[in-house]
Amino acid sequence: MITPIELFAQQAVNGLSLGAMYALLALGFTLVYGILELINFAHFNVFMIGSFVGLIVLQALGIAGQSVVLHGAPLIFALLLALIVTMLVCGILGVLIERFTLRPMRGVRGPMAMITTIGVSYILYNVVLLATNAQALNFPDPLATQDFDIHHVVIRAKQILIWIISLILMVGLDQFVRRSRLGKAMRATAQDAEAARMMGVDVDRVVSTAFFAGSALAGAAGLIFGLYYNFTQYSIGYSAGLRAFTAAVLGGIGNVPGAMLGGILIGLIETMSSQYIATKWADVIIFSILILVLVFKPAGLLGALAPNRS
Amino acid sequence: MSISRRSASKFLAGFAAISLTPIRSAFAAGETYSIGITLPLTGADAEAARLILNGATLAISEANDSGELKGITLKPMILNNASATAGQYDPAQAATNARKLVADGKVLANVGPEMSGSGKAMAPILSMGNLATITPSSTAPVITDPSAAGEFDPGGKPIYFRTVTTDAYQGPNMANFYAETLKVPSVYLLDDSGAYGVGLADAFGKQAAIKGIKVIGRDRLDPKAADYSATLTKIASTGAASLYYGGTMQAGVKLVKQAYQIIPKLIKGGGDGILSPEMVTAAGFPAAEGWYCTNASPHVIDDPKLAEWVALYTKTYGVQPDDYAVTAYDAALVAIAGIKAVQKTGKKLTAANVRDAIQTVKIIGLQGPISFDSHGDLSSRIVSVFQFHEDKSAPTDFLKQYRYIGVAPQT
Repeated sequence: MITPIELFAQQAVNGLSLGAMYALLALGFTLVYGILELINFAHFNVFMIGSFVGLIVLQALGIAGQSVVLHGAPLIFALLLALIVTMLVCGILGVLIERFTLRPMRGVRGPMAMITTIGVSYILYNVVLLATNAQALNFPDPLATQDFDIHHVVIRAKQILIWIISLILMVGLDQFVRRSRLGKAMRATAQDAEAARMMGVDVDRVVSTAFFAGSALAGAAGLIFGLYYNFTQYSIGYSAGLRAFTAAVLGGIGNVPGAMLGGILIGLIETMSSQYIATKWADVIIFSILILVLVFKPAGLLGALAPNRS
Repeated sequence: MSISRRSASKFLAGFAAISLTPIRSAFAAGETYSIGITLPLTGADAEAARLILNGATLAISEANDSGELKGITLKPMILNNASATAGQYDPAQAATNARKLVADGKVLANVGPEMSGSGKAMAPILSMGNLATITPSSTAPVITDPSAAGEFDPGGKPIYFRTVTTDAYQGPNMANFYAETLKVPSVYLLDDSGAYGVGLADAFGKQAAIKGIKVIGRDRLDPKAADYSATLTKIASTGAASLYYGGTMQAGVKLVKQAYQIIPKLIKGGGDGILSPEMVTAAGFPAAEGWYCTNASPHVIDDPKLAEWVALYTKTYGVQPDDYAVTAYDAALVAIAGIKAVQKTGKKLTAANVRDAIQTVKIIGLQGPISFDSHGDLSSRIVSVFQFHEDKSAPTDFLKQYRYIGVAPQT
């Protein structure tokens, strides 16, 4: 019989995995928001498309259902290929969305750009809904089931994999924004696009890059989602996306470490409320905590309020 | 095929209307009436809904071809009960469809809905319009419960007929099966927050307690969430011997997959909501292996007496029917029998008269004798139990991926 402490530890493991998924998704939100102050709702469904791209790549490699399990080099090759193709396709999709629906609206005040992203989001959602006839699909599972049992706390190899991939992508993004030339240009654009332009920053290129990077991360998250849960469906962007958005706001939107922290906190709150209260109350608890945090710290846990740009 | 035939006849009718108006009036006896069919034809429930739709349209086209309708033609009026925002059946959409049916004077009866959540939204509207609906699969007892008539039957006359029994029997009979056949000492209950799932799990839990099964806990899944590991970890920690899930496949796909990892040893079962092709195509084996489920109807599809009908259905639609395709065919037969009864009395063909006739209909359907009690519920109360079991020789044939266990013990 599992002891209360072991049970708590097991739920923490569950929460961390869920949180890593939210954090990956939250990064893309935060990246675009940080530069454009735009909440990009299309992000939810770029993530969903990512899972389908991953599914198609893996199936094209002959990996379908639960029957094909790979090891060693073929596994790494298959996963890397799926990851690269998914990130590229989603990144390009993100750039196209920005170029054709958002750039014409740059400089327009008010919520128009945000509403446009909701529209794009619904288009992607409905296209996949119609293309798949809304069926949930079985996602290939080439990873061997490997469990580590430490004092009744089971950690699955897949969970470790998602922690590692999430951590690499998050640290990579953080370093990119902090240290690279383009990252500097991004931060400059975020602070004051007009001034950055006067200093010779190619703002269009910066925005495109942000959309590419954010959408590629969403694609990676989609692939990881599929590998982890072994299913995908047109609707997966909806609830995961909403939680990820909440995570970004909780951590401080526009702040990369904040998105990571927010994601992991939301994941932990969700599993702990399922364990100690009831699953049906999880949403109420998550959003109550969000409201409380925003009342006392409006910029989120790690965020700083954006400078006044009037 | 049927579509092209229908559009061809429409074209001909249009042609006749333009050029041969005087002659057309000579065929006034060939008046066309509609039977509504309201099902969630897109979204998570689409695959099962399609099988039901085929069953109902088959019965209607057979009635038209046989000439038994004395000169009138019945046209299926197919309305989608699902919406893109819900991603599955949508009660708000069902209510809109019910209004459409009631407003159309040519609609004599309706077949559907598939889901009780839609039924709850449709029933009061149909009741005020005095239009009978015959559901082939909606099993929530409350819709026909006389104590809830104020809410679901404000018109006073029963309009919600069923060619399946209700969860008042599906849940409890399964609880009897858990207790008497599987002999489980304890159970954890889950539902998917929908009207169907909550009611089913409630009914199961009540009877399980009576039969001496310890109900260890009860929780509710968000069908749109992806991760149920926390809930399942909690269930594992309670030491429950079995799980009963009331709900459909939207939550079911994820539940089945994750339950296989976290609570592999528990006995697991659900209602007719998980007796769905998605159990195989999306949840997949080995996760689906061993899950029990039920149908609120007798299992007749393998009956040799039905072989000819199954062959016809398969040939016409290119898919194998399931038990709810049978009850859908029976539901359309009920509507047609009601219409014929009105024709026999010489009364005017109206929805209200057809409803009165359906109340006293006694026919032999594919599933056996069909008649209704005073609330509209099927007089027979048979619940069948199945278990998922992979048949590797025919992986794409859904009907081979589960086996018939027997009729659940009745209380």
